[in-house]
Amino acid sequence: MGQKIRFLLSRDDFYHQRGYWVLAKALSDGGIEVVLGGIQTPQDTVETAIEEDVDLIGYRIMNASPRILIQILFEKMAKRGIKDVPVVVGGIVPEKDEAILRGLGVKEVFHPFTPLKTILESVKTIAAESTKRQERI
Amino acid sequence: MFKEELIEELKDIQERYEADVNRVLSKIPGAESEHVTYSGMKVKPLYTPRDMAQTDFLKDISFPGQYPFTRGVFEAGYLTRDLHIRQVTGLGTAEETNERWKFLLSQGANALSVVPDDGSGNRADSDDERVRGLVGKGGVALDTLYDYETLFDGIDMLKYPVHIITTNAFALACYLALAQRRGIDFRELRGSMSNWMRPETECLDIMEFCARDVPLFNAGYLDMRNVREGGCTAAQEIAFGVAIAMAGCNGLIERGLHIDDFLHRLTWFVNSGPEFFEEAAKFRAMRRIWARTFREDYGAKAPRSLMCRMHCQTYAPTLTLQQPFNNLIRSTIHALAAILGGVQSLHVNSFDEALAIPTEFSAALSVRTQQIIDLETGVTKVIDPLGGSYYTEWLTDRIEEEAMEIIGVIQSKGGGFKAWDWMCSEIRSAALKNQQEFDSGKKKLVGVNTLVEEDDIQMRALKTLQEHADFEALFEYSDSVADKQIARLNKVREERDNKKLEEAKGELVDAINAKQNMIPPLIDAVKSGMTRGEFALVKSQVFNMPGEGPYICSPSSVLA
Repeated sequence: MGQKIRFLLSRDDFYHQRGYWVLAKALSDGGIEVVLGGIQTPQDTVETAIEEDVDLIGYRIMNASPRILIQILFEKMAKRGIKDVPVVVGGIVPEKDEAILRGLGVKEVFHPFTPLKTILESVKTIAAESTKRQERI
Repeated sequence: MFKEELIEELKDIQERYEADVNRVLSKIPGAESEHVTYSGMKVKPLYTPRDMAQTDFLKDISFPGQYPFTRGVFEAGYLTRDLHIRQVTGLGTAEETNERWKFLLSQGANALSVVPDDGSGNRADSDDERVRGLVGKGGVALDTLYDYETLFDGIDMLKYPVHIITTNAFALACYLALAQRRGIDFRELRGSMSNWMRPETECLDIMEFCARDVPLFNAGYLDMRNVREGGCTAAQEIAFGVAIAMAGCNGLIERGLHIDDFLHRLTWFVNSGPEFFEEAAKFRAMRRIWARTFREDYGAKAPRSLMCRMHCQTYAPTLTLQQPFNNLIRSTIHALAAILGGVQSLHVNSFDEALAIPTEFSAALSVRTQQIIDLETGVTKVIDPLGGSYYTEWLTDRIEEEAMEIIGVIQSKGGGFKAWDWMCSEIRSAALKNQQEFDSGKKKLVGVNTLVEEDDIQMRALKTLQEHADFEALFEYSDSVADKQIARLNKVREERDNKKLEEAKGELVDAINAKQNMIPPLIDAVKSGMTRGEFALVKSQVFNMPGEGPYICSPSSVLA
């Protein structure tokens, strides 16, 4: 099956983190290597993604404006040459923002109570389709 | 509580009854003779005096306002002390939040709460690159004393108890500076802040300064509500809070304070979850444990020290995006449990909180929920109305027992501060298990894993409201908030006397280095125009905090 998928999980803010940890544990139990980014700006997330050579970036956005954060994230990714790393977002994402995020290139947006299995399968599928990962394996 | 003969006489009758019930249940497919509560407690279909045979009325239950305060901290419950209707508010700049405060007061709210947009309390200023997308989102942008002036414009600081949701000494300094400017004596100033008990100078300085100079201000805080949201059980909610309180008290006693000087200024932020009776019993158990622990282990004598007072916010993890108006019903039930449990202050979650920041429309419904419970149902007219119910008393005893066991484990691990990592791992495991139970359908959640509607009529109704109503039905964040806030910040930077600010900053740094209380020089610094980002920088320098960033942690570790 090749190497484990490396998934960077970052979050936007300090207070609430239940979903962040639940997802981290569930993905880890599902055979994915989860790199805990903690609370990170989009800029820091990109640096961590490079340092940790991850296959996928997951951004938990609950308090911040998803469209602003993801826009900065993609700008920075382009600048640092990792545009090919797929990005997924989860948290509280208004419908209008979801369309914008997908337009910007976000592969998947997960809302509250998306079953953990669905997220796991989705992450695996996105990783498998990623050219970045295919090069790495 | 009951004569031994009765307990003995009941034995055979109850056993026969239980056998009958089990026989009937066994014939019904899917019927369960045992229910497991949200917090994992196994409960039977019926409770009788036999389940509280060991309970002693005077020792364990007693009267309201009397040790061990199981039935409430005040003699006459809500008859003499109105429930504080206190909705968390924090949106946009200080102007928008001030406007929302005034709106809530006009609807009948009688207490205020503000959440800044700086979760960690160590946040850079609003014009910093690193906080783009976070300004005025998930809280109000409060960079300088000028913002606090705007926030409190037209608000009587002596009339309304204000809670500030932050651990940041900067916020307290601004609150106190504002009171000074209004000529308010610190000794008359009420209020509270989320000064989460932790082994840090900032936390203990806040507690110490207020214990001595702002005696009516509730300066210490046990934020177990958000720990509970993280996934822990009702007993853990109590146990973790008490253990953390004990650790914080030890720190203050080391500074030379007496337990009765400050214990009454430590307040709780608690949750009220879906398991109705378990939650109501939890508040009763919490008060009893608090009183017993601090009287027996810490020698607290003042009755006010032993009164565990609580602000409660209803449970959010089961608020659903699907069929959003169902959240009104959920939160009402959570609120009822909190009121029957005798909390002092309450925030009822708005129905749209799984989607966005509440609007005036949804926040007003939260205020109305509390008013309807208070004014129309009669439940606030009888004190501790669930007291004496076999089930409630049994639950209260079991939760107390379980919580005391957990406190013992925490103490064996070095106490509330040292065992924090262990508590976190317990919370996270519980949260994962909880989510898996929702995913598998073992725990029911209407609209999510049962009674799912393909065509969500409630969501359609909400969208229709949003499109056609002459009020805002669903909150939408405006990117221009940041521009507005940055303009406010620049105004302060331009108008302040930088020389005076540097002097004030120097005095603040000197005081911290000399291990003097940081609050007095910080009050001077905020009056000189110091910003929260500048204070965060001072903290990161003098306390050698990792990085100078707005975030307190960015570990990049691999989850095992």
